[in-house]
Amino acid sequence: MMIRRPTRLFDRATDKVVAAEILNEISRDELIDVHLDWQPARLEALKSLRAEGKPWPENWHWDWGTKADNLNFLAYRCFAVECEGRTQGLMMISTIGWRGRIGIQAGKPVLYIEYIESAPWNLAGLVENPQFAGVGIALMQTAIQVSADEGFAGRIALHSLPQSQPFYRRYMNDLGIDSTHAEQLCYFEMTEQQANEFVERRPS
Amino acid sequence: MSDKRTMTLNLNDAEMRALEALCEQKDLSKTAVIRQALRLYQLVDARLASGGKLFFEDSKQGKAELIAV
Repeated sequence: MMIRRPTRLFDRATDKVVAAEILNEISRDELIDVHLDWQPARLEALKSLRAEGKPWPENWHWDWGTKADNLNFLAYRCFAVECEGRTQGLMMISTIGWRGRIGIQAGKPVLYIEYIESAPWNLAGLVENPQFAGVGIALMQTAIQVSADEGFAGRIALHSLPQSQPFYRRYMNDLGIDSTHAEQLCYFEMTEQQANEFVERRPS
Repeated sequence: MSDKRTMTLNLNDAEMRALEALCEQKDLSKTAVIRQALRLYQLVDARLASGGKLFFEDSKQGKAELIAV
């Protein structure tokens, strides 16, 4: 059952905080719809970057449509941030198969963020004037809440592309390059204490 | 997850001890452990049914295929 929970984003154009909603239990079909909604904006932005000789963001090839099959399984769930009638960000999580690696929580289950992304028009590396800020923060808060609901005490983890590492390093422990990861990405893990601090401070 | 329903689970002593040990090790409730087990079982079973194989890798004995029920 779809549940909507209030959150907020920052509109860069007006310098104002705006009301938004977190949607849980995004279905396979809804995920494909969002992918189709985002794709024209993504391609347009990539064409502009190419014409200007600028580098493409590292996640330019992400295709949420191909990730949709994961949602056939109980282990995976997808969440969205919606504002002004459009999906502003997506996150897919897994609740099985990941154990904490930091001493204090070694062996205990952690919620793993499989994918997290803002809409193309919110990405600083893709467009000159991104529309909304705070999408990633809102989704991370959701991941922490789901982790707590699952009995994981707010513990979360993810592998990060190099471009996003400075952001995650502010809130999570950087355990360095993970040699077991297919793309050899850096592994980040958030402890229960860091999760509590993140929710209390609600960075923006 | 929403729309939760309650059920009774009948376990023998050994099964209950195993469940309680997992709860202790993982710092999880019994419900959370059973939920985790169900999710894992569903995923593994579907992958095996579609032709996938499940292996455990050991530095001394190498790879051993796991036969799931």
